[in-house]
Amino acid sequence: MSAQIPISTFNPYRGEKARLVRAYDYLILVLALFLFIGSFHLHFALTVGDWDFWVDWKDRQWWPLVTPLIGITFPAAVQAVLWDKFRLPLGATLCVAALLLGTWVTRVFAYHYWNYFPINMVLPATMVPGALVLDTLLMLTNSLTITSIFGGAAFALLFYPTNWPIFGMFHQAVEYHNSQLTVADLFGFQYIRTGMPEYLRIIERGTLRTYGQYATPLAAFCSALLCSLMYPLWWYIGKWFADTRYLKSI
Amino acid sequence: MATTTEHVSLSSENPKSLPWYLIDLPKYLKGFGILTVIYVGLRLYQGAFAIEHGLDSTEPAFEQYWMRLFYIELAIIAAVAGGFWGYLWTTRDRNLEQLAPKEEIRRYFTLTMWISIYTFAVYWAGSYFAEQDNSWHQVAIRDTPFTANHIIEFYFNFPLYVILGGCAWLYARTRLPLYAKGISLPLTLAVFGPFMILVSVGFNEWGHTFWFREEFFAAPIHWGFVIGVWFALGVGGILLQGVTRLIELLDRIPDAE
Repeated sequence: MSAQIPISTFNPYRGEKARLVRAYDYLILVLALFLFIGSFHLHFALTVGDWDFWVDWKDRQWWPLVTPLIGITFPAAVQAVLWDKFRLPLGATLCVAALLLGTWVTRVFAYHYWNYFPINMVLPATMVPGALVLDTLLMLTNSLTITSIFGGAAFALLFYPTNWPIFGMFHQAVEYHNSQLTVADLFGFQYIRTGMPEYLRIIERGTLRTYGQYATPLAAFCSALLCSLMYPLWWYIGKWFADTRYLKSI
Repeated sequence: MATTTEHVSLSSENPKSLPWYLIDLPKYLKGFGILTVIYVGLRLYQGAFAIEHGLDSTEPAFEQYWMRLFYIELAIIAAVAGGFWGYLWTTRDRNLEQLAPKEEIRRYFTLTMWISIYTFAVYWAGSYFAEQDNSWHQVAIRDTPFTANHIIEFYFNFPLYVILGGCAWLYARTRLPLYAKGISLPLTLAVFGPFMILVSVGFNEWGHTFWFREEFFAAPIHWGFVIGVWFALGVGGILLQGVTRLIELLDRIPDAE
């Protein structure tokens, strides 16, 4: 047994029924807001984690790769329901906005006010521009294939340039004890994180580092490829979870 | 929020200005209010006593300020689970075949409110206090599984949202015909999946017996939590089930201004 939406009954409601349906919409909006803040944020914090927490982790090699790759998951899954079943072109933006809200609240009250990390050290990155493009592309094309290839790629490629106005200033070079660092590195040295020894920072490793200014676009294009694959995978995961069956036993 | 068929006439006659399908709205808003007071209160408690008495678990003050809170939490959790689940089960509707469409619609609204309260608890557990764990363990050396943030996050927030998810599941199972006839797969996924996050605490703490610090928050010992929270996506299926049934029920009641 599973639920089938009876298309023939989709007539506009009037009077009390219209008010009832609108009230249900508002209930769902509140439910969805806290659902996506809570679930997407936990998923994001435990997979992207440190790259989003700390300004000195926002490097050229891993940050532009990991963040969009993990960040496109819930948006794809939610679009699979909201667009496919309700024709609402806002699944990605809803998820990303909810995530941003949750991270901001936490960075201010859990990092800054409780443990005195400077707020500039723990600013969250934004994926809102990429999510807007993803929603718009899905709405205009109504195509999973096109949205996967071009939307997934755009989500990854837009990440670094749209975050540059926020984080560019922390990449300014400074000389400190005869070493060349960035302002972000100085944050890391000045505000000690007892749980994170410097040898664990996964930044700027291997041959790619010698590519100099090309490291970032290479990481972004690698992310674009992976996001194009991650998007349809999570679209189908979203569809699988949105099953409407009633079982006889569990 | 639990109304049986026997109470229908009483509910419909409620003279307040709220429409019949939103009879439970005040209880829903009170639920939000109570939870907000609890979570903000716990955060203020952390702000007041975590740095002063929560850095060294071997100190007597730690026992007084933190372990005592932990025992109180366990008692509250046991009472809330027993109280809510027991109430929902003992007041179940034994006459679901006779349920009027209007009353069933009202119960779908109440179920949505239960799920909404559940997701509000998921917010505090999955978003705020979860990431705060990283913040705290970057400034405090982890010398016990009962740290000042774990006592609130793992042993209060996690069980509380499990209880509230269980309430939503029980409410549907005992008061709505479709959920009583069959077991809703998405509702079960959305409740039991996040329940596994609580179970993953064991895996997480076992991992931290090797690494006492929060060296790398995205480390694999935390991924058990991640897989558990994916199941929250089952809410999409619950929404589809609810909307489908509401459309059918709305066709069965007369139009009104």
